[in-house]
Amino acid sequence: MEKDLDKVVDEIMATPQINGCIVADHQGLCLAAKGTAHVDSAGIIVALSEQACKIQPNLKPPTICLETDKKLCLVQRHGTITGAIFKLKP
Amino acid sequence: MEKIPDQIGYLILTEDGAVLESGGELENDERIATIIIDLISLSNTVDPLAFGPNENFKKISITYDDHWYVICMSNKKIYVIKRLIQNNTDEGNAIAV
Repeated sequence: MEKDLDKVVDEIMATPQINGCIVADHQGLCLAAKGTAHVDSAGIIVALSEQACKIQPNLKPPTICLETDKKLCLVQRHGTITGAIFKLKP
Repeated sequence: MEKIPDQIGYLILTEDGAVLESGGELENDERIATIIIDLISLSNTVDPLAFGPNENFKKISITYDDHWYVICMSNKKIYVIKRLIQNNTDEGNAIAV
């Protein structure tokens, strides 16, 4: 059942500079996690995207980008599914 | 803050969410201020494995199709700016990194 999702996650992980990827459902339950992304982050990532959606609830969910000196975390929601990618800065 | 190109609103907040300065579309927008404070406290708990304990986020951006919010922290103040995205691409929520 998760074959398709696993394929997408593997594709993302194969992209250069990416070192982690996590997908969660609307309840914050982890659907897939690879690399440095920890299963426990699923809830926080969903909460983060829900919080960002509150800024302008009438628009479609935004992309959130959290940035440190060396790394990036990109979070995007699509329907009930939220995905996050952990990436090294170019 | 008003001199920043393409800005259409800004907020300067204290760490506890009080509005110090504001302007443009975000003028006295305490609703957004509360959301941003919650967002920052949430972001501090994101993945301790992927981001080390001393690796705090220095910038958060929230990108919509035609505008984006940038959130930065400096000197114990939180700076929020709403900016227009000029070059409209067909990629949807594309991010300029």
